[in-house]
Amino acid sequence: MVENTDVELSEAEAEQYDRQIRLWGLESQKRLRASKVLIIGLSGLGAETAKNIILSGVKSVCLLDNEKLKEIDLYSQFLAPPDKIGENRAEASLQRARALNPMVEVSSETRAVDNLPDEYFTTFDIVCATGLKQEQLERINNVCRDNNKKFLCGDVWGMFGYMFADLVDHEYSEEIVQHKAVKRGPDDNEKNARETVSITVKRRAIYVPLQNALSADWRKPELRSRLRRGDPSYFVLKILLRFRDEQNRNPDPAKRKSDTETLFRMRDELVKELSLPSGFISDELLTDVYGVVAGAAAVVGGVIGQEVVKAVSQREPPHNNMFFFNPVKCVGFVELYGQ
Amino acid sequence: MVARVAGVFDEKLTEAIANSKILVVGAGGIGCEILKNLVLTGFPQIEIIDLDTIDVSNLNRQFLFHKEHVGKSKAQVAKDSALSFNPNVNIVAHHDSVISNDYGVSYFKQFNIVMNALDNRVARNHVNRMCLAANVPLVETGTAGYAGQVELIKKGLTQCYECQPKAPQKTFPGCTIRNTPSEPIHCIVWAKHLFNQLFGEEDPDQDVSPDTADPEAAGEAGASALSSEGTTSGNVDRKSTRQWAAETNYDAEKLFTKLFGDDIRYLLSMENLWKKRRPPTPLTWDNLPGKDDPPTQHSGLPDQRVWSVHECAQVLANSCKALQADLAGRPEGDHLVWDKDEKSAMDFVTACANIRAFIFNIPTKSRFEIKSMAGNIIPAIATANAIVAGLAVLRAQAILRGLTAAATSVYLRPKVNHRGQLFVPEKALTPPNPKCYVCAPKPEVGLACNLKSLTLKDLTTAFKDGLNMQAPDATVEGKGLVVLSSEPGETDHNNDKTLEQIGLNDGCALLVDDFLQNYEVRVRLQQEDDEKSWRLVTDTDAPMPAPKEEEKPANGSNGSNEPKPGPSRTRADSESDMEIIEEDDDETTVKPPKRRRTEMSDEVVELC
Ligand SMILES: [Zn+2]
Repeated sequence: MVENTDVELSEAEAEQYDRQIRLWGLESQKRLRASKVLIIGLSGLGAETAKNIILSGVKSVCLLDNEKLKEIDLYSQFLAPPDKIGENRAEASLQRARALNPMVEVSSETRAVDNLPDEYFTTFDIVCATGLKQEQLERINNVCRDNNKKFLCGDVWGMFGYMFADLVDHEYSEEIVQHKAVKRGPDDNEKNARETVSITVKRRAIYVPLQNALSADWRKPELRSRLRRGDPSYFVLKILLRFRDEQNRNPDPAKRKSDTETLFRMRDELVKELSLPSGFISDELLTDVYGVVAGAAAVVGGVIGQEVVKAVSQREPPHNNMFFFNPVKCVGFVELYGQ
Repeated sequence: MVARVAGVFDEKLTEAIANSKILVVGAGGIGCEILKNLVLTGFPQIEIIDLDTIDVSNLNRQFLFHKEHVGKSKAQVAKDSALSFNPNVNIVAHHDSVISNDYGVSYFKQFNIVMNALDNRVARNHVNRMCLAANVPLVETGTAGYAGQVELIKKGLTQCYECQPKAPQKTFPGCTIRNTPSEPIHCIVWAKHLFNQLFGEEDPDQDVSPDTADPEAAGEAGASALSSEGTTSGNVDRKSTRQWAAETNYDAEKLFTKLFGDDIRYLLSMENLWKKRRPPTPLTWDNLPGKDDPPTQHSGLPDQRVWSVHECAQVLANSCKALQADLAGRPEGDHLVWDKDEKSAMDFVTACANIRAFIFNIPTKSRFEIKSMAGNIIPAIATANAIVAGLAVLRAQAILRGLTAAATSVYLRPKVNHRGQLFVPEKALTPPNPKCYVCAPKPEVGLACNLKSLTLKDLTTAFKDGLNMQAPDATVEGKGLVVLSSEPGETDHNNDKTLEQIGLNDGCALLVDDFLQNYEVRVRLQQEDDEKSWRLVTDTDAPMPAPKEEEKPANGSNGSNEPKPGPSRTRADSESDMEIIEEDDDETTVKPPKRRRTEMSDEVVELC
């Protein structure tokens, strides 16, 4: 999907990217270097994602945000300096984002996504969206899908976080390690005469759009059986997206008490709606969902960053299609929804 | 100040953070990330310590550093960058080794939590002991490629960093290196030894000339070889390689002729070696393969092209000149330290390893590949570091909240497991190993050796390398007799005496103590006539807690209760050698206070 990968790396690039080339190979690095990335939403998660993608050495990153920098952003948004409160978050982040890696073109866009035409999103190879409402996410996802562009989205609320990926029809290569017997001299015995060789295989993954993943039918037995595994993170995401859609904002630390009550009420409604076991979604998971906690943003931003690298380099199996970080158990897992 | 905005955390955590003091050990990839998370979260008092300076190959992940910082102190630049995120926190930066008398037990006691972001085992072992001695919770972190882990170490509650024997360092028999290499790594190790013989710290265990004591060649071969080659190699071998090279003014052709001509012919004369092996082919300087080859088309990085033998010889000549000049510019008695990031040092090893590989019919490799192997590089990437550092700080928050029992180890897997998990937490804390020779209430370990041949100097090495002590003192149990003293000069006169000569016998116990680490261990001596060096013996009667199955992706895969290996152990299984560490330049955060070590610590050569 990414073009212009035939140009050799400069000496400076080879030097700076030495370690990651040793991990994912020169071809991947060339593909990264040719790819254009759009990051929507410069909260703490957007900053973490931008950092990882810029460091990886892509061609360009555009930071899109129409919101102003607020004090609460500073809990995790390290790209925007504290003295820029009140300025546009994307613009305030530009200088530090560029300093991360001068070999990457970093630009900003301050228009709201609703004011941008569909064609805007198709000028990128991959779009990562955070902080949007479900409807906005679905629109951009569908535009990308129709134009065979990759789409990722994610969010962090307090310590909880998720990621969704729609890589449409994704081809990738995967390295598989095999053990091969070798014998060169009498010193070689059974044990040391084995050599690991890695072979590369081509694979393909088919994705579904976000609306399918978010409208999974929990009455179906195959999903019902998933409840037994006992992690309610999918439902926590549903509740938090619903809160954002209904209230037009995220849970507010200043209204911690009343917002927690609202969240509990929304939880109870969802439990009833989907006939979930009572107590399945613990209070604990809905109490640490305020602001963007730096550690959680680092964790989810790390996962999204790595998925962008995998997606554009077409190397190693990307997650299909939802990742959740459950901070109560400190578990991070991938599940497929909507297929 | 933590509550920039009240209500992000509950009151208890908000207050615990406001009153906390954290030590971050290491300002590399994970250290930068941890520091950022702590500062943003509002941890008010942080100290960070790192010995290292910034290198350009750090910039792809150590995001607090930029190009203009190359060469500067990591700790200091990390502090300055992090303060720009939140000027209201207090950060103290130490451009220093954590292994120093300046950071004793009382220093460690002032912190609520210590967070390790180190890249080597020596420093990890040391901080482990300091935190046990100071009874401070230690959050230990590491990554290797896409994988990583976070582990809490708390005295009496969890296993410590040294509770499980770690996979041994990869070792190669000396005769394989010197006489019968069969893999590229054997030639690379040889080339690094050659570097040290010529320019580095001379070490008799790193001899690069043919080994006539090779048991396989025993008998006639050695003797006949000596008599036929007596004048050339015989004389040369009696001189040190360094002295000989200096006398020839590091003449590349002479060096080449000795190493790749004469020495190879000498090996050929040890006929027993080649009965079942393909014999090596000696080379002559002015007739090397590849001399008249036209330049080949190469795609990929320049370093990924494999040089011809002729090119290797040219590179050898050029790098030799550069290294000679470097050495000449240093004060008398000083030496070079091999470093994979020094161009000439890396060129020299690539050229010599490949020439030797060609001679022995072993595939030659590119400079890029040899750098990975010679430099022991485990690639580190920004994303894995970010995830592990994020998990580490969330774990630290849980500990401050009083949820220590729930702060179990978490593993970041390179790929999801069968349950779809990418971050896999352990179900419970792993309790301490009661037989651990570090954290048990009365630490004890056996030392198998031949008391008739092991010298007191060797014993010091066993305590330093085997027991990871920095400055051991040893007395005989029940007698109070001082065998070893860390005070310079006190017991040095006994260095060359054997243990038997100073009156130690089988079953005798030593109390060995490291003052800095506040660590004492009882060492039982076990006579073994066949032991050529020494070997630690941990108690095998009570099995250690087995590691949980697949939740240990990379580290600690060797849960069996094997004796802890000393240098004389047989070759390690390479599958179990991977330890989770953050790659950076080896040993960078370690500077043992009293002695200087070369960077050669990643392989150990066995005596044959
Ligand atoms: Zn222990």
